[in-house]
Amino acid sequence: MLILNSVVNGVLFGGVLALMAFGMNLMFGVVQIVHLAYGQFIMVGLYLVYVLAILYHVPLLLSCAAATAAVALLSILAYYLVVKPLLKAPPINQLLALAGVWMVLENACLALFGATYKGVQVVLPVLHVGELYIAASNLIGFVVGLITLAMLYLFLNKTYTGVAIRAIAQDPEITGIMGVNPRTVYLVTFAVGGALAGITAACFVPVYSVHPHFGGAFTLLAFIIVILGGMGNLLGGFIGAFIIGVVTSVSSTLLNPEIGQIIVLLICLLIIIIRPQGLLGVRGK
Amino acid sequence: MKQIKNLKRGILLFLLALLIVWPFLFQSKYLLHILILIFIWSYVTTVWSYMGRFGLVSLGHGAFFGIGVYTTAILFNLHHVSPWLGMFVGGLVAAAIAVVLGYGCFKFGVIGHYFAIATLVLSEISTLVIIALRDALQTGGRLGLTIRSVGTSPLYLQFDNKMYFYFLALALLLLALFIWKKIDESKAQMALKAVGEDEEAALSLGIDVVKYKTAVFALSAFLTAVGGTVYVQFTMFADPTTCTGVGLSLGIVFKAIIGGMYTLWGPTIGSLLIVILEEYTRLFLGSAYVSYSHIIYGLLIIVLIRFLPKGLHGTVSEIFQGRRKREAKTLLAGRQLAENRD
Amino acid sequence: MLKIEGLHAGYGGFEVLRDVSIEVGAGETVAVLGPNGAGKSTLLKVIAGLLKPSSGAIHFENRRIDGKAPYEIVEMGISLVPEGGRLFPELTVYSNLMMGSFNKRTRRYFKDSLEEVASLFPIIKQRKNQVAGLMSGGERQMVAIARALMSRPKLLMLDEPSSGLAPKIVASIFEFVKEIKDRGYSVLMVEQTVKKAVNVADHIYLLESGRVEFHGKKEDFLENPKIKRSYLGI
Repeated sequence: MLILNSVVNGVLFGGVLALMAFGMNLMFGVVQIVHLAYGQFIMVGLYLVYVLAILYHVPLLLSCAAATAAVALLSILAYYLVVKPLLKAPPINQLLALAGVWMVLENACLALFGATYKGVQVVLPVLHVGELYIAASNLIGFVVGLITLAMLYLFLNKTYTGVAIRAIAQDPEITGIMGVNPRTVYLVTFAVGGALAGITAACFVPVYSVHPHFGGAFTLLAFIIVILGGMGNLLGGFIGAFIIGVVTSVSSTLLNPEIGQIIVLLICLLIIIIRPQGLLGVRGK
Repeated sequence: MKQIKNLKRGILLFLLALLIVWPFLFQSKYLLHILILIFIWSYVTTVWSYMGRFGLVSLGHGAFFGIGVYTTAILFNLHHVSPWLGMFVGGLVAAAIAVVLGYGCFKFGVIGHYFAIATLVLSEISTLVIIALRDALQTGGRLGLTIRSVGTSPLYLQFDNKMYFYFLALALLLLALFIWKKIDESKAQMALKAVGEDEEAALSLGIDVVKYKTAVFALSAFLTAVGGTVYVQFTMFADPTTCTGVGLSLGIVFKAIIGGMYTLWGPTIGSLLIVILEEYTRLFLGSAYVSYSHIIYGLLIIVLIRFLPKGLHGTVSEIFQGRRKREAKTLLAGRQLAENRD
Repeated sequence: MLKIEGLHAGYGGFEVLRDVSIEVGAGETVAVLGPNGAGKSTLLKVIAGLLKPSSGAIHFENRRIDGKAPYEIVEMGISLVPEGGRLFPELTVYSNLMMGSFNKRTRRYFKDSLEEVASLFPIIKQRKNQVAGLMSGGERQMVAIARALMSRPKLLMLDEPSSGLAPKIVASIFEFVKEIKDRGYSVLMVEQTVKKAVNVADHIYLLESGRVEFHGKKEDFLENPKIKRSYLGI
């Protein structure tokens, strides 16, 4: 029963993880960039919710919406200042420049808020379904995650910009002769990726308190999911998120949480080396 | 040209002589401390750049450094094993991990940013292992551990007088620079340059690139772990944030980028600048403001990658070597043609 | 309509095109022929804006287009069907056609354009929701041509439309090209298989090692003794 309970909560948490990984995956697939500072964007989102809701008494939902918009703007800013000038540079330079962004954001938060935990104390009930205990915060995250993903699905399949985003991930050269300006698509991708980081932060509000070193772990978690599903493979990432959600939840119930994480990371290393297209990917799509 | 070379050699010899007599001339313990830190980080960064020169950006050297730190500390604290031996054991462990990971990666063509990610994962694992072993091996987890003090004891690599560490660290740095030179002049390296790092062409010249890269990676890991041992004997304290993990790995890479990761002196210059920047802010703004120095540091990285991707020293020496670069460009163009010809 | 003068282009320091001058009149079909490696595909890439020329000028409807970005050139009415079609493999046929009408000039005519290309290629209606990567080579080529037509080009460029296809399918592809020509499009086609291409073309250019070795009307091409020997095998 204990295990079933953690499986259910893991699946629910997987909804938020899917959302989080989707943003990083999109930026990798479209712009071919490994967004090393992605977790720090989530962290900034959480700090913004804290500032608005606690320090300025803005209603919580409004705070979350504002934080999402602000993180999307921050992402656009990062695109213009850091990514765009490096679009033709070797990928490793892009990765390291984003590591610089990581450093700036982390230390800016440290300077502004100090090293202590800050959080919005939202107490959400634990739902009792049959013999299962389900955290309402997980349920909210799951629902928000799935709704956002459904909207993304429509965007990527039904709108010109959305289809162009998918097209450019498959064949950037040909996308150009379709009349697409790749720079515009990259910009939209970063805006969407930033918004996803913001929504992820909003879903994390009832779950986590934030501190300046909060982001790194989530950048890495998003990585793991993306690698598991195959980099740039959106469906793979979606499934990967639920696998990681369940594995993390179950392993922290049964094992020492660090050992669970170490095992996941080792598997991740193996996948990078042996199946870089991901466990769920197809070679040479 | 020869005169410039002689002048350069003269300046270097003068600097070296100055560094050797420095501790006898100036009594400032603080300056000595800073110089030791500069030597250690210059050493580690130089050793890291053995790989960087192949375009292999390892984000895993924090893990190797941590292996050196913790292997020595645990062996000494729990089993009273001399750090001299611990240094060797740590180095071998690091090298073994590098061989397994490196061979796997190079064999399957995991290079570029994929290699960076693979090694990044290694860094994160190292942090988690230290935390997971907080009780089993008394690593102290996130709180850190202190090396048991035995006073001054050359056998246990502990000295009350920092001067010993000063010369030890300086010797290590010189060794690292010497090895850099040796690798640069090695036959394999020459051949790799000649074929523009094209692996298949190198293979046709009889160089097993996979083996060669793995060997350099292992050497680099071994020496990095040695650096970790010296560092922890010097500070007598270790915790996962300063001694291992992703943050430290990035710190090493950043120092190399700022100075220039493709040149002999680049890593040293980068380390010098960063250690001074950090100390300066700590000294004049107080340690509560260290985060400000890191903000500057991060911005510096972004700006440098954008405008001087070869680093400070790299850019300066490139101006003097413009001709060589043009030759490389022609080579590149030739390869592109071969790929794109319709 | 399209006027190329003294064009030089290449990769790195190596010239692939040397002093190439080509003209395509309105409503004309021009075939650029030549052996593998002559620089035919490079020529189309330069016109489409995928490769910047090192010197020379390209004018389209009296506006200079060399150096412009690919998306600007599509907007002006030049569309390229790349070699092998290069459809987006994971997108459906419908989405691929959507991409074809991406540019702002033609986006609002999407439905009309779709009807028009469907009248030429009925297959695109039947296979609307199929993922492009799963189609056969000939089908892909047809959809690729349809995709290019969706941008309502004034000039359609075809890069080796017959490459990698079985002879029977090649014949039907050239039937389509003829039909497109009859509908009034200007066509610039690059081909290696000489005979089929000559049949549909009004003007022929022969490209060898990046230079124009011959240009003239179809009749002159067929009569030229040297060409007869080396290209037509007569």
